[in-house]
Amino acid sequence: MAKPKIAFFDFAGCEGDQLQIANLEERLLDILGHVEVVSFREVVTGHSDDYDVAFVEGSITRPGDEERLKEIRKNAKILVALGACAAIGGINCLKNFQAENVYREEVYGAHARWYPTYAARPLKSVVKVDAEVPGCPIDGAEFARITKDLLLGRTPWVPDFPVCVECKQAGNVCRYEMGRMCLGIITRAGCGAACVSQGAHCWGCRGLVPGANLDAARIVMDRPGTSRKAVQDLLRFFLGDTGAAL
Amino acid sequence: MNTKTFSPYVPRPVTLVEKTRLSDFVTRFTFEQDNGKPLAHKPGQFVNLSVYGVGEAPFSISSPPRRTQNTFEIAVRKIGVVTSAMHNLEPGAKVGIRGPYGTSFPVMKFVGKDVLIVAGGLGYIPLRSLLFYQLRHREEFGRMVLMVGTREPKERIFVDEIAELAKSGDVEVLETVDMPDETWKGNVGVITTLLPMVKDLDPSSTYVSMVGPPIMYRFVIAECRKRGIASDQIFVSLERKMKCGLGKCGHCQINELNTCIDGPVFCYTDIEAYQEAI
Amino acid sequence: MTTYTVYKEQLPELFGKWSEEYSLYVPAKLREGFYDLVAWKPGLEIAWDFDVAYNSPKRFLFPPREALITFDRRTCEAKPVFEAPPQILFGVHPYDVKAINQLDQLLEGGAPDQNYVRRREATVIMAYEPLTVSSTAFWASVGAGTVAHGFDLYWTKIGPAAFTVEVGSAKGEELLSLCGGLVPATAGDKEGARRARARVQFRARKNSLRYNWEETPRLLAKCWDSPLWRRYSQMCLACGSCNLVCPTCYCFDIRDEVDDQLGEGVRYREWDGCMLEGFAKVAGNHNFRPKAQDRYRHRYFRKGKYIYDKIGELGCVGCGRCVRACTAGIANPLKVFNELWEETAHEH
Repeated sequence: MAKPKIAFFDFAGCEGDQLQIANLEERLLDILGHVEVVSFREVVTGHSDDYDVAFVEGSITRPGDEERLKEIRKNAKILVALGACAAIGGINCLKNFQAENVYREEVYGAHARWYPTYAARPLKSVVKVDAEVPGCPIDGAEFARITKDLLLGRTPWVPDFPVCVECKQAGNVCRYEMGRMCLGIITRAGCGAACVSQGAHCWGCRGLVPGANLDAARIVMDRPGTSRKAVQDLLRFFLGDTGAAL
Repeated sequence: MNTKTFSPYVPRPVTLVEKTRLSDFVTRFTFEQDNGKPLAHKPGQFVNLSVYGVGEAPFSISSPPRRTQNTFEIAVRKIGVVTSAMHNLEPGAKVGIRGPYGTSFPVMKFVGKDVLIVAGGLGYIPLRSLLFYQLRHREEFGRMVLMVGTREPKERIFVDEIAELAKSGDVEVLETVDMPDETWKGNVGVITTLLPMVKDLDPSSTYVSMVGPPIMYRFVIAECRKRGIASDQIFVSLERKMKCGLGKCGHCQINELNTCIDGPVFCYTDIEAYQEAI
Repeated sequence: MTTYTVYKEQLPELFGKWSEEYSLYVPAKLREGFYDLVAWKPGLEIAWDFDVAYNSPKRFLFPPREALITFDRRTCEAKPVFEAPPQILFGVHPYDVKAINQLDQLLEGGAPDQNYVRRREATVIMAYEPLTVSSTAFWASVGAGTVAHGFDLYWTKIGPAAFTVEVGSAKGEELLSLCGGLVPATAGDKEGARRARARVQFRARKNSLRYNWEETPRLLAKCWDSPLWRRYSQMCLACGSCNLVCPTCYCFDIRDEVDDQLGEGVRYREWDGCMLEGFAKVAGNHNFRPKAQDRYRHRYFRKGKYIYDKIGELGCVGCGRCVRACTAGIANPLKVFNELWEETAHEH
């Protein structure tokens, strides 16, 4: 069987996810042994439009992006959204809560009107996405697992339960019991509750868990000592494109 | 059995010997046990099949018990990760199985009685095991009726086999589809519409075995009860997520019952009171 | 069985000896108000007055993630994986011992779960009478305040520097005598232990069922259609926290992972929970418990009826962990059972 050809692309984002993949180093070589990389700016030079699997990073923020993404979709048998920006819109969607002239001037200054831009959105708002590697940044090990699933012809498995599960598995003390806020209750697991295990709280970078009970979550988050503004900011941080953001 | 290294989670290898396409969605797989022994299952039991690296899933055994052969059959709809991976296998490929697990249709109870087999959708797959086992001992049973209901004609499976059965005269075959197309000449309607077509049914000596989609049971059972068949003469096989097959993992619970060890075949009397069963 | 008196000053030596051959876990403070069993090291301050270990001891016998088999994709050979490090759990409260006894029955019964059996065999349980009661606990009222078996030693603190130690197994006695010179407990010491127990039992009665716990299965049998399930489950986040922190919950999922050469792999199990949305979903996405209230009710039936029907005990030992863990404030067996009792008051 011919090795599947894979290519990496990026839109509005920091390329941090591709960097995570590059950081896999030796593991990357093993995995890449099963595929042929035709385009990967962080690792190899050159580019080709002949590929089976496209890993796409970044969100769609300009009308012009759509055409390029649709072209990628047309070429690829499997399109994988890589990272929060691509999968859920991520922090790029913060701008969606500001007036267009405000953020355009902030970014492009006096030349703002030369650059067309619109509300940031995830890939799935434009084309069909076959699989997602969630997270900001992505977890290299999860990328490896999802890639292996694809190589085995298997629909990649990503957890369909919230971060709480992994927090309990890790034995962490719940942030809410410490009087703090945390988005783990509505966020898709798979990170191993990384942020909470490090003493922080969940920011929601992996997107909403399927069937998230947002009404209940809002009541849970609305506690004495937490301002509504703080809740809103947290929900907008990564989840701006979802129904969670107020 | 070496108790030092025994684990109930370790599958044993079987080899795919034949793969037959039954419909656009369903394929029959014939496997051979590498240990050379017959599977020694009873009609209605299931195995947990592993495609290593992809996962493990439960499948009803479709072939009747065989005392002298080490082969067995399952038929699979391409619907989840394991079934998709199975469709990519070619003869010669190896997979792992655990089991057979679970309860079976109480064939001994059916001896000397009339037998009604109700197969909705893919329900024919596990019921085949029972049907052909009974046909092998045809003289021990009274009248045998097979009812087959399918959503659309193109989803029908084992079409030739069922036609053959109807011709043989050993079994009365009644078939229906919910949504006919222009090619379909037979009965139209849900499977319950077939039951009134069974003439001269003797409810006191008729035993019913049924397998089908979750929605089917309630209606067919009600219809059977209407015809006067007692609930302890009705046997159903229920599908749940039978992950471990050992009554441990909890996924297949119906109230307090573990479908994998207390089922999948239940006498209707035993589950009538369980709200989650049907 | 014999009871000995042991003094605090003997402990460092005993612990040191034990930890030569065992991983030793003892109660310690994580932060103000939070305690857990942690790996012992010399000098570690033991939290003698801990109210509840934040994480239930099941993780030592049934880890959150555990390999079951290894396999080779090319040959389709599979081998079992067993891991059973010798360990001592020191400071297990009686309700948690009770929970372990229950896991023993359920996982060793039928087709024994060899992975659990082996870990259990390699584990020494040193029970410890609590001095304080967690504000969410109600173990005294569900018959889990005392435990008659399932421990190798049972420690009771009878004074600032003294313990009585009841022997539960030969293994326990052997471990206790490693530093020689065992002193049988005097009648006075035993009386001290009895009083210590009575004191804490009294305090634990503060949160109580309004009825005899043995009525729970009969109560639930009447409450399948109670409006309570829907009322509470509206707030359910389906996060599974109540399942995962429960010392008697043991449901698991099984998954495969292959190495980067796509050759060999591991099949492992991971904690799962019936409150998670996809728990009863089969291939093809039919969900046998699609609604939050189905799942919510299932959990309480499992705790209050199904387990009882199997082994004659409640599946809830009243540790109160789920009450704390539920951010939505709906996981509370005591409250749920009491409210159902009130709801059906006209019938009794």
